[in-house]
Amino acid sequence: MNCWLEPAVLAGNQNQVSDLLSRVEPLLTKVERPSRYIDSEYGAIHREAAYRCALVYPDVYEIGIANQALAILYERINCLPDCAAERAYLPWVDMIEAMRTADVPLFSLETLRPLIEFDIVGITLQYELTYANILEVLDLACIPVRASERTAKHPIVVGGGPCAYNPEPMAAFFDAFVIGEAEEAIGELITMHKAALAQGESRENVLVALATIPGVYVPEVHGLHRLTPEIGPLDRQVAADPGLRIQKRVAPVEVLGRPSGRRIVPYMDAVHDRVTVEIMRGCTRGCRFCQAGMVYRPVRERDQDSIVSEAVEAIRCTGYDEVSLTSLSTTDHSQIDQIIRRLTRIFKDSGTSISLPSLRVDAEAVRQSLLTAMSGRSTGLTLAPEAGTQRMRDAINKNVTEESLLAAVERAFIGGKRRVKLYFMIGLPFETDEDIAGIGELVAKVLAKARASTPPHQRGSVIIAVSVSVLVSKAHTPFQWIGQISRSEIVRRQQILRDSMPRKGVDLSWHDADVSTLEAALARGDAGMSKIIERAWANGALFDTWSERFSLTPWIEAFEHHGTSLDECAQRDFEREELLPWSHIFSGVSNEYLWSEWIRCGETLTTPDCTFAACTACGVCSYEGAGWSLSVAGSRDGLR
Amino acid sequence: MASGEFRLRLCCGKRNKLRFLSHLEYAHAIERGIRRSGVEFCLTQGYNPRMKLAFGPALPVGTGGMREYVDLWLRRYVPTDRVLNVVQSSLAQDLSPSEAKYVHMRDPSLSAQCTVGVYEVLLTGGGATEQTVCTALNNLIDEGSVTIKQKGRSKVYDLTTCLPKEIVVRQDSQDSVRVGLSIRMGSQGSLRPEALIVEALHRQDCSAAVESVMRLDTLIESKTGLLKRPI
Repeated sequence: MNCWLEPAVLAGNQNQVSDLLSRVEPLLTKVERPSRYIDSEYGAIHREAAYRCALVYPDVYEIGIANQALAILYERINCLPDCAAERAYLPWVDMIEAMRTADVPLFSLETLRPLIEFDIVGITLQYELTYANILEVLDLACIPVRASERTAKHPIVVGGGPCAYNPEPMAAFFDAFVIGEAEEAIGELITMHKAALAQGESRENVLVALATIPGVYVPEVHGLHRLTPEIGPLDRQVAADPGLRIQKRVAPVEVLGRPSGRRIVPYMDAVHDRVTVEIMRGCTRGCRFCQAGMVYRPVRERDQDSIVSEAVEAIRCTGYDEVSLTSLSTTDHSQIDQIIRRLTRIFKDSGTSISLPSLRVDAEAVRQSLLTAMSGRSTGLTLAPEAGTQRMRDAINKNVTEESLLAAVERAFIGGKRRVKLYFMIGLPFETDEDIAGIGELVAKVLAKARASTPPHQRGSVIIAVSVSVLVSKAHTPFQWIGQISRSEIVRRQQILRDSMPRKGVDLSWHDADVSTLEAALARGDAGMSKIIERAWANGALFDTWSERFSLTPWIEAFEHHGTSLDECAQRDFEREELLPWSHIFSGVSNEYLWSEWIRCGETLTTPDCTFAACTACGVCSYEGAGWSLSVAGSRDGLR
Repeated sequence: MASGEFRLRLCCGKRNKLRFLSHLEYAHAIERGIRRSGVEFCLTQGYNPRMKLAFGPALPVGTGGMREYVDLWLRRYVPTDRVLNVVQSSLAQDLSPSEAKYVHMRDPSLSAQCTVGVYEVLLTGGGATEQTVCTALNNLIDEGSVTIKQKGRSKVYDLTTCLPKEIVVRQDSQDSVRVGLSIRMGSQGSLRPEALIVEALHRQDCSAAVESVMRLDTLIESKTGLLKRPI
């Protein structure tokens, strides 16, 4: 992207704030952490334009500001002619109460403009447990929560993000969804919306126009409540003609990245409070539980020069002292060693560190990379073996061996690390009690290896942090047909886990069974789920991602009110031939491939990564007319 | 240019909306601004080297500051106007420094040196007048001490030591009054000016509200009681 804004429109220009300022400022003295609401961050863009777009993260500021997707869209939209993008986040409960008492609607940070005054409101669907928050956002913004109740005076509400791959549970609340990578579609969507508004088109005609954009799903047009009888309902039609599916958008490798280096620098401590540079999109390792690994295909690696230059520029522009090289599997990048070596050299003696999330442990290069990265300031080391036994790891296609894990830990602790975090999952298909006990046994071996690789006088500080989640089957994965284990079974397996875990030197945490069950029910829900979500929200469900706020009570009542149960929805299995709630959404990976992967799971057969071996026929690269292709910057031979 | 370590004192602000930053947020914002400016700063020693930077007494969330001091250790001598220029352009206007001066490396820390804060509190509503506020404060000061409850705990402040100078009260408009007061800050925490004023007004049944609190300056007090600026 060549465009960037002139300095005059960057933070500091406060001339355009609405008259809400005088009503918002007094509230800030009454709430916790008022810096969530004050804007003025370095790098924020204040732009006057006829067409205004609000980008909303449905959680508090410190969570939302770290979201890369919204940051990319913010940048892209603010480069479009006569368009301005502004940000909004869901205020914390104290501010929500203060705003409702003072009759202050939800506003954007940049101009304190009420969301209802925007032309378009984009809300990211990152996680199912934020669904109630989305309804709170709309209600606090005085926008009717149900799309069918909106009129011409309301903005178009558009959703996107990973949860949009099964849009039906939230379809009643959105006017449109962008399926796939929104930076590829947002320009077309805005252009078409602007044109329709300029021509004075009705809201219905605007929606019909948006439905013609590839990758845009408009429930009112495509769905059950269709405006155009000749088109829908799409989910029934795709059973006969898969070509009618809404096909995801994929950004070509050339447009990935944010070369200007500019970022919004928050004042308050945010999660992932560092510069992030996306080095690659997609992953073809083929972990069978991983939705991101399926829906973000094909792999697209950015070239090392552009990555290094963006990282250096971003550190210079922001003042951060840490850069994170992000992707689904960073150490799979064919030039990762060169990238780390170059950045380590450039940032030497500057106090700037490099961090690598999402590390795999099954490649020699990983171990080299870790060692190199350790020459800088200490950063965390997180590894994800996911399962405790080789049989289970093969079943989920997590091609990690115990030897490679122990070798990685040995290198890390010899290099100076004293803490490593390991991610595991339970509730996997075909899992036995021995597999769960195997997690404890593997952790014990890791602990022993870590201690043996640490000088004797420092062994007391060795910690293995173990985080164990529960499998939540997601749409568009090989596990999409299978339901979750029951809550009582989750608790029983967690007990086995606790009993098998070494007591000393291990910091064990696990996901709450109730939270995982709710997530499972929502993740594979159908259009009927919208009533349950609305009811739960009306019952008081809010900030379900926050453990101190989470309560299952409003949800259980909502499920029962609508004649079903949470457990039934979470545990539901789908038949092979059944029309899935997300059948009309096409991620590029064929259903045949997903089913074959499910069969191979049962046979504990692994499937290789197509960037290292032959094509596995997932269907993405060969999909007719899409033009999607694998793009590897160098050679991955040395990373195997 | 000479190289070594040079201790530069900056006089920054914490104004307007940015008064809602916590001290930690303020410190991070200043640090990142200095990094952006490209000034060659010193790093602390240790496993996790950080920018060598020290701040004066912290301000509470919501209290603004006109002259907040920051000591920055530089690797090279750079003329103060040049440092000011680059740091100003790297920070939000409401935080940016207005003055800079090199200070002696062996000077005590800012937090140890700066013991007096000069505040201005704006009161509105509740029928507050210069007369009522003045009377209320004088009555309270005459008592010699005040007990302030904060976050469920009570703390007694000796007003004879907390208030090194006379309090100044003036009518700002028909509905507002400005109170100027200096408060001595101690290692055990300092009296908040608005808390003192609210307590005084409460005793006079005056319901005026605190509209804003601003620390106008932070001063060094000599052994003889003379007050001077750190720059």
